[in-house]
Amino acid sequence: MQITRTQRALAHITLTVSILLIVFPVVFALVTSTHSFQESFSFPPKFHVGSHLLDNYRAAWERVHMGRLLFNSTLISVAVAAGKIVLSILAAFAFTYFGEFRGKATLFILILITHMLPLPIRIVPTFELVEDFGWMNTYYALTIPFFASATGTLLFRQFFLTVPNDLADAARMDGAGPMKFLWKVLVPLSKTNMLALFMIEFIYMWNQYLWPLIVTQSNDMRVVQIGLKMLLAGEEQAAEWNVIMAGTILAMLPPLIILLILQGSFVKGFAMRQEK
Amino acid sequence: MKARKGTGALVLVLALALLLMPAVGQAVTKITFWHAMSGKRLPAVERIVNGFNQAHPDIQVEAQFMGKYKEVLAKTIAAVKSGNPPHLAQVYEVGLQTMLDSGVIVPVHTLFKEGEVDFGDVVGPIRDYYSVNGKLYSMPFNSSTAILYYNKDLFRKAGLDPNRPPTTFKELEEMGKKLVESGVVPNAFSTGWPAWIFEQAHAYHNQFYANNENGRKGRATQVLFNGPFGVKYLETMSRMAKEKVYIYGGREYSANKAFLSQQIAMLIQSTSSVGSIEAAAKGKFEVGTTFLPRFQDYSRGNSVIGGATLWVLKGHSDKEYAAVKEFLKWVIRPEVTAQWHKDTGYFPATNSALKLLMDEGWFAKHPNHLTAFLQVLSGVKTPMSQGVRLGNFVEIRNIVQTALENSFAGKADPKKALDEAAQEANRVLKEYSELYQ
Amino acid sequence: MESRFPNRLLPYLLVLPSLVVVLVFLIVPSIQSFYLSLFRVSPFGNVLIFKGLRNFVTLLGDPAYLNSLIRSFFFTGFIVVVGLSVSLGLAVLANLPLAGVDIYRTALIWPFALSPAVAGTIWALLVDPSTGPITYLVERATGMRINWMTNGDLALLIVTAAATWKMLGYNVIFFLAGLQNVPKELLEAAHMDGAGTFQRFWKVTFPLLSPTTFFLFIMNSLYGFFEVFGLIDVMTQGGPGKATDILVYKLYEDGFVNFRTGYASAQSIVLFVFVAILTILQFRFAGRKVFYR
Repeated sequence: MQITRTQRALAHITLTVSILLIVFPVVFALVTSTHSFQESFSFPPKFHVGSHLLDNYRAAWERVHMGRLLFNSTLISVAVAAGKIVLSILAAFAFTYFGEFRGKATLFILILITHMLPLPIRIVPTFELVEDFGWMNTYYALTIPFFASATGTLLFRQFFLTVPNDLADAARMDGAGPMKFLWKVLVPLSKTNMLALFMIEFIYMWNQYLWPLIVTQSNDMRVVQIGLKMLLAGEEQAAEWNVIMAGTILAMLPPLIILLILQGSFVKGFAMRQEK
Repeated sequence: MKARKGTGALVLVLALALLLMPAVGQAVTKITFWHAMSGKRLPAVERIVNGFNQAHPDIQVEAQFMGKYKEVLAKTIAAVKSGNPPHLAQVYEVGLQTMLDSGVIVPVHTLFKEGEVDFGDVVGPIRDYYSVNGKLYSMPFNSSTAILYYNKDLFRKAGLDPNRPPTTFKELEEMGKKLVESGVVPNAFSTGWPAWIFEQAHAYHNQFYANNENGRKGRATQVLFNGPFGVKYLETMSRMAKEKVYIYGGREYSANKAFLSQQIAMLIQSTSSVGSIEAAAKGKFEVGTTFLPRFQDYSRGNSVIGGATLWVLKGHSDKEYAAVKEFLKWVIRPEVTAQWHKDTGYFPATNSALKLLMDEGWFAKHPNHLTAFLQVLSGVKTPMSQGVRLGNFVEIRNIVQTALENSFAGKADPKKALDEAAQEANRVLKEYSELYQ
Repeated sequence: MESRFPNRLLPYLLVLPSLVVVLVFLIVPSIQSFYLSLFRVSPFGNVLIFKGLRNFVTLLGDPAYLNSLIRSFFFTGFIVVVGLSVSLGLAVLANLPLAGVDIYRTALIWPFALSPAVAGTIWALLVDPSTGPITYLVERATGMRINWMTNGDLALLIVTAAATWKMLGYNVIFFLAGLQNVPKELLEAAHMDGAGTFQRFWKVTFPLLSPTTFFLFIMNSLYGFFEVFGLIDVMTQGGPGKATDILVYKLYEDGFVNFRTGYASAQSIVLFVFVAILTILQFRFAGRKVFYR
């Protein structure tokens, strides 16, 4: 598409200014995480880079046992992303390669319905269920209830529908069973989709707050998001923004890295398909 | 290509995760202790626990920070329901009635045998607050009351006598105006815990907050905070808010920050902030402390105890309870209590700890640590000043909080805000008594 | 659809894991929410009193709940309208053939990775009444010291802005993807017909983008209603004066702090009605779209 030189310049300017505005909060957070406590509560605020970066990160790390929290968040995010991928590939496979089996439509709707039932709608009973299972304060509570994925099932189903039927026929001719076909043919073909789904589900799980808040009870089961709350709760003296921001930066890094690495697959595998 | 990069990232993340996993050690008798002590208080708690653990190699007390007070209470309730309660929970004064009614606690007076611990050593007002029919139900740990902090340097700048802080609301308002008008500060004072300060004001002026003697004679069925005193208090505060003398400072400790960055000159806050405030103000300005301001035309009561105590929960083995007992005995040892006081500003809970501190000459060097004590000891013990006991007080305090906020912000008339809050609170009380007849 | 692999049992086995999770953790608890909403439950769960529809009657007559409803609708409405408009504008710009456009795109989409709690913490820093840079800039510009800890409407605006900011990245990704699906030939043809830049956008691009817009409308609504809990919890806890007490926060407070379990369940049911409406809209719209294409 052709655009004029003025339009081009305007677009550059608008984008640059907007991006600066969007980036500013995080840059300021980063700057604050290098300040001393005194610098962080000065007014007017200081914008220079301070020399207390390591102190602050160490303080945040020690105060809320950040190492353990990062481990927990990573573990549950990887587990949930992987769990969702596996479960939804299996379900999508069932819905595309086995014709019209009995109850198919009902089952499909049941899985799609997960979209309709966000946690707050069922929070009290789900919480009580987890209590009854004896899962309070365990990784089970933090992962298994999240395993079903309407998004994933839809995504893989749509993708499988675009896979030429000849492939399945050929596989059958070669005497391959359905599971072998799934494993040898469909899974390798779905790599982009899997990575896309991995990215969104990892970020989704990493950013969960309410559920971990109510089902975890001990320091060693907490996740990073709750660690932030714990850092903030220490406001009995002036909020130590320098330390809190160090914790905040630590909490945002892993999903950010995943996003930057996987954004290509995400756009190809998910966003482009989603609205079809 | 992209895909391979992604897989690489995955492996990396997993490897990182494994590296970060700490080794899990097994200890002998494990005691879980849930608390709400954050910031500078956290190391003070850890000091107590570590000292205990070192002295008792066969017991391992695990102190877990669970968030704010109301969250510790919520978590404790949830944990009891799921059959996995901690051994000890630090519950704040507001949770008293809920804990008493819960049926899931072991009262400390039954935990210890006669004469095993001298509860008589516990400072009077603290013992009274947590006793039912003269028997102590939970172990005093961190007790405090509210006092007035002020910035002597800013007082000087505004032409006020730094050794004559306000003693009445009238003086508070006048001095406040002077501080603001002289341009020294944009606002003169703030408070932490506004609803708690509101409760304090009632006790301090000999006013009941709820019927049945504040719920201490029988279960309270009606709140009284929308009476003439409550309305007068809120009208005064709201007026000062309008005059920019008072500025609302958040629900818990956020106001400390404005005080420390010298944007306000006075702060009504728990005495437990004295340690952190003195530390942070060091080298920047001189901190003074004094008693809470009063309205003159009311008889004197006493400022009431706040803070929290340690509750022992049911459902553990005898061996574990023996360990819990050891820990509780450790907590009220004079030297431990005295150190706790020095680190935080909370009351030393026992008379022997107090004596220890006096012998050391601690208060002579740290007069601000003494203010709350003198205030409580110079008060008058009346039924109004021994603390309020309400069912689901957490929710009621929240309701009052909202009313205060709306009135301070000029969004609601003080009387109307309190009336509505009282109606809400009475509903809560009614629902609560329906459940526990 | 023709079966590629005739097998009677296998499809059920394949669906089974998903089905178990859905039934156990989603469907059954949702039904239980209905059941619980008919009771009053004691804090420690040891007493249960049947109340019929009383919880709902109380709920609809509760000024605190109505306040929460209004606040939520403002909050979500702002996220949807302002968030989507800004993101669409930015996506359109980032879709132009500019030098360094890849960098622009990456710089626009990264907020997607932030959690609501992280966004809230950072914004709390920005608008800290004593030390925040935004507080400072506003004071420099207007002479007024803004304090969102006292000013409820301001607090609502700030949490809303923080929530919108966090969602920009997500919206831009999908708009970009949608824009790349707009056939170039159509735009060229419109250009030939003499349509200007804006006309081309409104007459060609925007209608073709409507499935994306609608998808994002749904996602942003769900986000505004359900996923911002962490942001509210770290920033305001619903205050001051309940000004930011949106539905999901009130639900948590009543259910897990005040222990009014039955009452909280009744609130769950009301939320369910909202989601049901959104879902019906989605199916309706998706249906029409198929026909339209």
